[in-house]
Amino acid sequence: MAQSHSDIIRTERLGRRFRGRWAIQDIDLGIARGEIVGLVGPDGAGKTTLLQLLAAILDPSEGQCRVLGHDSVCESAEITSRIGYMAQGFTLYDRLTVAENLAFAAKVRNVSAAQLAERRQRLLAMAGLGTFLDRREGALSGGMRKKLALCTNLVHAPPLLLLDEPGLGVDPLSRRELWRMLEAYRRDGATIVFSTSYMDEAEICDRVAFLDAGRMIALGTPDELRARGTGAVFSVDSSQPAAVENALGREPEVLGVQWQARQVRFVVRPGDPLSSRLRAILAHLGRVEPARPTIEDIFVILTAGARHAADGEIEPASEARAFGPAESATSGIATNRLSRRFDSFVAVDDVSFEIGAGEVFGLLGANGAGKTTLIRMLCGLLPPSSGSARVAGIDAVTDPQVLRQNIGYMSQRFSLYPDLSVGENLRFFASAYGLGRRAARDAITWASAVTGLAEFERQTVAHLSGAVRQRLGLACTILHRPAVVFLDEPTSGVDPLSRYRFWRLVNALGAAGTTVLVTTHYLEEAAYCHRLGLMHEGRMIAVGDLASLCAGLPSDVPATVEGVFVAYIERERARMARSGSKAS
Amino acid sequence: MKPSRIAAVLEKETKEIARDPVTVAIALIMPIMMLFLFGYAISLDVDDIPMGVLDHDRSPASRQLVDEFVQSGYFRLADTYATPEAMEGAIQRNEVMLALVIPPRFHQALVRGEAAPVQVIVDGTYAASANLAAAYAESIISAFPEAVAPAARVEVRVWYNPALRSANFIVPGLFGVILMAFPPLLTALAITREKESGSIQQIFASPLTPAEFLAGKLVPYGLIAFVQLVTVIVIGFLWFGVPMRGSLGLLLAVGLVYVFTTVGIGLLVSTIANSQVVAMLLALIVALMPSTLFSGFLFPIFTMPYAAQLYARTLPAGYFVDFSRGLVLRGAGLPELWPSVALLLAYTLIVFALAVWRFRKKVA
Amino acid sequence: MTTRLAGLLVKEMIQFLRDRVVLMLILWLYTIEVVICTLAVSFDVENMPLAAVDLDQTPMSRALVQDFLVSDTFTLAGAPANVTEATDWLQDGRARVALVVPVGFQRDVTRGEVPAVQILLDGTDSNIAAQARGIALAIVGRFGTTAAEQHGQGGARPVLRVWYNPDGSSTSFTVLSMIALAALMVGVIYPAASIMREKEAGTIEQLRVTPIGTTELFVAKTAPMLVMGLVSVFPSLLIVSWFGVPLRGSLALFLALTAVFLISAIAIGVLIASVSRTLQQALLLSFFGLFPVLFLSGTITPVESMPKLLQTASLVSPLRHYMDVILGVFLKGAGLAELWPQALALVAIGTPLFLVAARIFRRSPAG
Repeated sequence: MAQSHSDIIRTERLGRRFRGRWAIQDIDLGIARGEIVGLVGPDGAGKTTLLQLLAAILDPSEGQCRVLGHDSVCESAEITSRIGYMAQGFTLYDRLTVAENLAFAAKVRNVSAAQLAERRQRLLAMAGLGTFLDRREGALSGGMRKKLALCTNLVHAPPLLLLDEPGLGVDPLSRRELWRMLEAYRRDGATIVFSTSYMDEAEICDRVAFLDAGRMIALGTPDELRARGTGAVFSVDSSQPAAVENALGREPEVLGVQWQARQVRFVVRPGDPLSSRLRAILAHLGRVEPARPTIEDIFVILTAGARHAADGEIEPASEARAFGPAESATSGIATNRLSRRFDSFVAVDDVSFEIGAGEVFGLLGANGAGKTTLIRMLCGLLPPSSGSARVAGIDAVTDPQVLRQNIGYMSQRFSLYPDLSVGENLRFFASAYGLGRRAARDAITWASAVTGLAEFERQTVAHLSGAVRQRLGLACTILHRPAVVFLDEPTSGVDPLSRYRFWRLVNALGAAGTTVLVTTHYLEEAAYCHRLGLMHEGRMIAVGDLASLCAGLPSDVPATVEGVFVAYIERERARMARSGSKAS
Repeated sequence: MKPSRIAAVLEKETKEIARDPVTVAIALIMPIMMLFLFGYAISLDVDDIPMGVLDHDRSPASRQLVDEFVQSGYFRLADTYATPEAMEGAIQRNEVMLALVIPPRFHQALVRGEAAPVQVIVDGTYAASANLAAAYAESIISAFPEAVAPAARVEVRVWYNPALRSANFIVPGLFGVILMAFPPLLTALAITREKESGSIQQIFASPLTPAEFLAGKLVPYGLIAFVQLVTVIVIGFLWFGVPMRGSLGLLLAVGLVYVFTTVGIGLLVSTIANSQVVAMLLALIVALMPSTLFSGFLFPIFTMPYAAQLYARTLPAGYFVDFSRGLVLRGAGLPELWPSVALLLAYTLIVFALAVWRFRKKVA
Repeated sequence: MTTRLAGLLVKEMIQFLRDRVVLMLILWLYTIEVVICTLAVSFDVENMPLAAVDLDQTPMSRALVQDFLVSDTFTLAGAPANVTEATDWLQDGRARVALVVPVGFQRDVTRGEVPAVQILLDGTDSNIAAQARGIALAIVGRFGTTAAEQHGQGGARPVLRVWYNPDGSSTSFTVLSMIALAALMVGVIYPAASIMREKEAGTIEQLRVTPIGTTELFVAKTAPMLVMGLVSVFPSLLIVSWFGVPLRGSLALFLALTAVFLISAIAIGVLIASVSRTLQQALLLSFFGLFPVLFLSGTITPVESMPKLLQTASLVSPLRHYMDVILGVFLKGAGLAELWPQALALVAIGTPLFLVAARIFRRSPAG
């Protein structure tokens, strides 16, 4: 990285302080033309701050930063007028249409009308938005909004594109399309710097920068980084993956576990040989082999090593017994031809499925496929237009009041009271479920122990990291030991290690007899679920475990969750197209 | 400054406003509502004061005095009482605002050419009306009976607003206040909304300069403000029949300058506030509240304590209220009113300079 | 039920006390705002610049001019030489009123003839002009009676007694009306904001999957506000006594009726929150919704000076009745014997408002 002349980005001891706290510190980074660099790191590592510094919309407190040959402080106008910068979240004008948003972006960036006409065609075709020109941005699905945001940042063909979590909250299909656009754009010789919590995105970078607590703890090509994990990653082939997972979860030397179908992968500290004790335990369960490290494994190694006690340690699931529902239920969830219409729009279309007690059921589908609407009906929040649903043996349609005592619901970005402390939130939700003083105290002690919240008791929620909030959300949801728990995108935007820990909790819940219905956009997480349901445009198009879902597909489809997911949706689309053409 | 970029922001902003019918409706209906409420409800002139009488004399003279009160047009005889207690109760219950106590032998004293004291009891709770009622009562009694020639006669000539119609006073002042109520608020919200939704980051990371962005934001809101001004002017003149003694062209021209002042204050607020709620409260505290209280719109500045007068003089609303009243009611023109206009212009320039200076294309 | 309600109430209290900005805002409304308005806002006509054109220049004419100047109402802006010059002064705003004493004033008075004293008034500010006219009339009237007395003439003599507010200043009125206004603003805005915050944060939906009923939620949102509303009246009582406004009636009655009034205010707040979708909408609605309520209440001008139609409309504004209560209790020492119609009106307005608010709130807990 010595070719400083051709560097598009060059930072020296770059740092930024907010109210005395360093968000980013000592960053020395050089990025060459045409490179694609991913920023990864746990929540609050400083990824957004770094991108804003690079975009020259934030001044450093220390050090300096040259982008496209200009200083980010004195010549910020030169930088901002040439780059593309896509902020986190949805940052377009929701009252403007697709075409208007694009036209606005082009005009303020001095793109001539002729250029715009030519590029608009290409961009919108690439984004699959060509038919939505007059749709208001606010009425698009999350994936479409992200793609449009990317279009508005490509319309002036910037030499440098800075993207802050472009795939956050976007379903896997849309994410694929987003990356297809980026690939095409990159072939024209542009440079891309982006932050992400999807490790598969990090794999395709030229280089990956690991940030933790504001510092860059590693930088290198994916191969270089993976080399750091040599000898530290193993996989266990077993017919009892759950037992393997459980055994590994109890071992302190194991930093991370990932369960993929019949394979369980785990990571230990690099350099430490696998202890004989662990080998002995695993020998009973299956065959242990060294595995090729992935970026996610490296993430686990890098951050687990530096992982500060401040983030709280989750107790191993030794208390799994106490996890169970207050009254052990014999039935989970059963729906019969459940539908919900909003005016002419059918959000959930004739869905029938069953989930057994103690099952962890993953609900997958694109943005707008109807997952959240389905969950809201099952929680008794939304009356169905037709059909029936029984949750924990209670009719969710006619008896929502009784139902509430028996379910827990963690909505997308679980809503806690940000101005209350962790303890106050827990106490409030305990009383909301009518737990008496003693019962509440026991429940809180138990829930904060299993979710590792004890040390945060006095901290205000507003100041907590996303990962801790998410665990608090789960704790509040299970305080009253519900028979059925609904988790709607509980891990969105959370780093891999925290996600892994979260899933261990979820699996412990299931093992103790609680029925869990969970949605996610991280398809690798589907491996933690006993069974999966695939939703598409309101319909449940497939239900089953990964193996049986694979079996229903031609053999050339890769046996990964993503492969299965994409194959089923494409098959459904083709079927719809056929029936549509037949009908007309 | 590149006109095409300003035009882009302007076009985008106009479309966004047009697709928010609630805000547009509030912006256009509220001034009219304010105009009607202020125009009709604000009047300290009392012409129908409920009055009670405790007549200990019950003579032709006492009856004639009461009659004088009723004839004056200021008072309405609500009740007569037999005992002081009954009268006190009536005042306490708000039934009458003023009570007349006519002493025994009142008639006799007048006939003999002696001085006859008449007690006037006023409920001082509403001080302004009480003072006025007391003054009217005093002047009526002093001039009684007609046979006794008063020492001097008063000829009151009221200029500019002979009928003392409060609408004449309120409406020209309201131009200044209404423009401080909405334009700063709407403008401030328009920019903080972009801050909250994050779309401002896209503006930061673009070639738009602060001046271009602010100019594009300003024009549509300035236009709404100007429509408000014209609405209030039209209704004020046609419905309330406020006289127009000066030049309408000058009023509109200076009104336009003032529109930019108010929108500029909104821009300035939005460069300080980070959330819509804060922007709203700030706009209320720095724009609407002081311009209602300290512009001389309702409460004359010359009656305030000195410090408050100084404060009032730092606000633009007072200058526009002065200008507008002078032009509309007194028919004054630029030769008389140029200081107010010059100050408004200076104010506008300063507010804009501050806003552009404060608006930096940085997230923190 | 009790556990849940207690939990909700504790949560509301903690949130209320933790929200520094709102606490400061409430305190500001009840104290600083009251002080500022009382000091600045006054309908009392004081220091009105007077141009004295004394064409007579005799002891008696000077005495009359002096009579004008000893009152607080007028201050001497100068003595223009003639009426034309005085006219210019009015035109450019140097004077707001001109007093013209005619030539031969003293001679005419002593002869028993009636000379005409001219008052030229700038009527631009109609309220000020009306007051000035009344006061000028009274001054000349008094001058006349003094002269008559010196000549041993008879006639009626006014003896003025102002009750409840002897110095006739508007301080007491402004202080009390500002407090009533603060009670209204806090009563409406706080519950609206607190409900909207939960709506926007999504916590209200979270509550809907718990066994908490909407009635409990409604009680939890309104009851603490009532308590807070009453407690926050106390700092303003200090302000009241600082301004030397007496409390002649019973504090208990005042608090009781304040509670009744707050119920209407809170009900309005809940109504606004039920129909709003965002915090911004709720704030705009409450701010502009309060406008007519405030206007029709007599806080700015006495209800008596409004047109009949608006006087009738003002009967539905709870603030109007509360103004009568607060002025009655503080200044007049009125008790329930005098104030029962107002109390009844407050109950009559508050009860349906509250019931409707509860009903709408129950129907649309998450909007």
